[in-house]
Amino acid sequence: MCYNITDMPSILNIRERINGPPISLGLLALFSIAGLAFIAAGCASQPDTTPSAEEMEEEAQGIDKSLMCPVCPSETIDQSQTQLAKQMRDIVREKLAAGESREEILRFFEDRYGTSVLAEPPRSGFNLLVWVAPPVALAAGGLVLAAALRAMRRSHDSDSAVDAPADEPGLEPYLSAVDREIHGITPAADETSEGRD
Amino acid sequence: MADLGYVTLLLALALASYSVVGSLVGAGRDSPQLVRSALNATYLSPVALGLSTAGLVGAFVSRDFSVEYVWANSSRAMDIQYIWVAFYAGNEGSILFIAFALAVLAAAAVYFSPQALRPSLPYVNAVIMLVMVFFVGVMVFLANPFARLDIVPTDGRGINPLLTHPGMFVHPPMLMTGLISFTIPFAIAMGAILSGKTGDEWVDAGRAWGILSFALLGIGLLLGGWWAYTILGWGGYWAWDPVENAGFMPWLVMTAFIHSIMVQKRRGMFRMWNLALLIIAFGFAQFGMFINRGGPVPSVHSFGQSTLGWIFLLFMGVTMVVSFAVFFWRYNSLKSAQTLESALSREGAFLVNNLLFLGVASVTLWGVVYPLISDLFQGEVITVGQPFYNQVNGPMFLALIFLMGVAPFLPWRRASWRTVRQALIAPVAVALAVVALLLAIGVRNPFAVTAFGLCAFVTAGIVREWARGTMSRRGRGESYPVAFARLIAGNRPRYGGYVAHLAVVLLALGVAGSSFYGVQRDVVLAPGEATEIGGYSVKYIGSSAVERADRVEARTEVHVFRGDDFLGVYRPKRDFYPSFNLASTQAAIRSTPIEDLYIIPGEILDDGRVVFRVFVNPLVMWMWVAGPMLVLGVMVALWPQREPAAVYARAPLDDAAVRSGAVTG
Repeated sequence: MCYNITDMPSILNIRERINGPPISLGLLALFSIAGLAFIAAGCASQPDTTPSAEEMEEEAQGIDKSLMCPVCPSETIDQSQTQLAKQMRDIVREKLAAGESREEILRFFEDRYGTSVLAEPPRSGFNLLVWVAPPVALAAGGLVLAAALRAMRRSHDSDSAVDAPADEPGLEPYLSAVDREIHGITPAADETSEGRD
Repeated sequence: MADLGYVTLLLALALASYSVVGSLVGAGRDSPQLVRSALNATYLSPVALGLSTAGLVGAFVSRDFSVEYVWANSSRAMDIQYIWVAFYAGNEGSILFIAFALAVLAAAAVYFSPQALRPSLPYVNAVIMLVMVFFVGVMVFLANPFARLDIVPTDGRGINPLLTHPGMFVHPPMLMTGLISFTIPFAIAMGAILSGKTGDEWVDAGRAWGILSFALLGIGLLLGGWWAYTILGWGGYWAWDPVENAGFMPWLVMTAFIHSIMVQKRRGMFRMWNLALLIIAFGFAQFGMFINRGGPVPSVHSFGQSTLGWIFLLFMGVTMVVSFAVFFWRYNSLKSAQTLESALSREGAFLVNNLLFLGVASVTLWGVVYPLISDLFQGEVITVGQPFYNQVNGPMFLALIFLMGVAPFLPWRRASWRTVRQALIAPVAVALAVVALLLAIGVRNPFAVTAFGLCAFVTAGIVREWARGTMSRRGRGESYPVAFARLIAGNRPRYGGYVAHLAVVLLALGVAGSSFYGVQRDVVLAPGEATEIGGYSVKYIGSSAVERADRVEARTEVHVFRGDDFLGVYRPKRDFYPSFNLASTQAAIRSTPIEDLYIIPGEILDDGRVVFRVFVNPLVMWMWVAGPMLVLGVMVALWPQREPAAVYARAPLDDAAVRSGAVTG
């Protein structure tokens, strides 16, 4: 089922009922834009027919970019101008024409040259680690951040309970006074940027 | 000439050592004369190293092949202008360049240090000059650029052909200057910690130098991309190669810093965090210089495998351990003046920004070191290539672009949902309109649509802010240009930041356009034959070979058509250097705001046919526009404010700083 763009504003209203951190609003909007894009893209995709020469070449170039040239440091066979890379590119095209899949072709080269011929580490065994570590670390970082925020806010609350000035004006009025002093901004112009910087 | 260079190198080592000892002892014994004398030694360093640099350049100019470095990196056949490039083409020369750049930056940092930094200046100076001692020491004891050969050869080996490109005149020096410039903000942070002035005295200087080094390295990286795009002959600009990553990681951390330092500047918060960020950034910068000098990871850029890398690694390890030891020693005095009131605030957004920037930097580091880890545990060096970085870092970049559209509109301290809604409703509407338009014209890749939508979101927010401010001023009788100029001048850090954000949007457009919609074709063409790609017709006319002293230049001529329109003659060339068994190509690029047509000649076959690789890369031009735009943003953000106002603004914030500053100054 395809998604109607005009429904978006009603989705955005949901956040009025959410009392989460700013990230939730952020992520919500991010996801709605991304979600819309994905759904629409999904709606638009056509059922597959036999690949044309152009599609085949595109597929081949994708495989080229996933294979490292075994004799040159850190270059894919797509980038490398060596003879071996050229031969490998030809093999990729031959095998595609013979009906082999991307996975089969990658496995063929992996068997010959070892795992390091693959531009991206396989998602299995020990090498799963390389894929799993980043999201786990990011999530952990997010949790630490959330905990730190909570702690800071708690200490703020307890501070203000002791010191009483709950809506203590802080530096803001002083800083905007300084801004006015420095730049000769009159209050009229200040309305646009007040409280922001 | 070479002897002069070596003597001044020794002199530079003596000056730097004296400067370190003098400023530390001077600060310890409270002796302003000794400190002043140590600072004078810092001022003399660029002179000594400038003479040393002149010595090496002189040796190149006079073709003095008795100097090993000159022999290894130049030849009589080399075009004279490439002496500048040959100068830093190898380890020894590039370290001399780095030392010279550091000397100039050090003198500038000391000379322009603001009043508030005076109490910690001796320590700042000592840290900078300690780094200097390392670099000059490496040259004197391990990698002497002036070392002589026993037998004087008649000709040199020549310069690496890949370096003979206009981009090479500016990219490596900019990158090296960028990396070494991280020393200055790092030293300012360490100076604050060592002198115990861990309040906000160091913030203005730290921020200014942070932004400067961010800009230097950023431009260096962009120039690198430009060089790769125009000469490496594969149609790309960034390959997530270890050496590229090594320059990128410190930049990411510095970007995090120049954002979070604003929180300290305005709210007195994140004091520990900002100092720690600068230490980490410097660590990454050192890691970058280490990887560059024959590190353990294979790279297209590794020049001259050498054991020198391990000295750099050792230096990096020692620096990090000592820095963090000192940091934790002062831990208790680093408490923030304010606390966070709400996560929904500018402060909160900056924290998320920091998490994401450090996230990208960590993932990149992980990708760089994983081959070593894998080698250690499974005995096999695994490749971590582009697909990994694109998949893992890509979403984080999208999140950062999104944050860029939200964070500037969150007020400090605490935001209400109402304010947020008011600020974002228009940009979100524009973004959705753009997404709808893209879908309507047939753009289907979900990542591309998301990226373009987010770019529109950010741009709309900034334009709306500018328009509102200008209108408000215009309402008071100023003309549009005057109102806009005064708006920008009224809050330079903010509006300079917006300009930099727009530069990032342009960069994102270029990256998204070329990675999702680039078309590539390899064809073999005989003279007179043509190929069709992306609406263009590329016709190969013929080629001519020109023998030069050091290379064979094959110039090909192609005619480009679009439909029946003749778009011009292009002459991509391929130079072959027999002595290096290496070819370097110069692509013909027809650049328009919409797309680049990019033609590179590959192999020239015996029967006169040529293997061409042709690309159509959408939106790439905007990436190169982003560079000047970034510089503009940085200039707006850093342009000095009038002095009396600045002093007035500082005084009540921290009386102690001004008082101690007044005593010393």
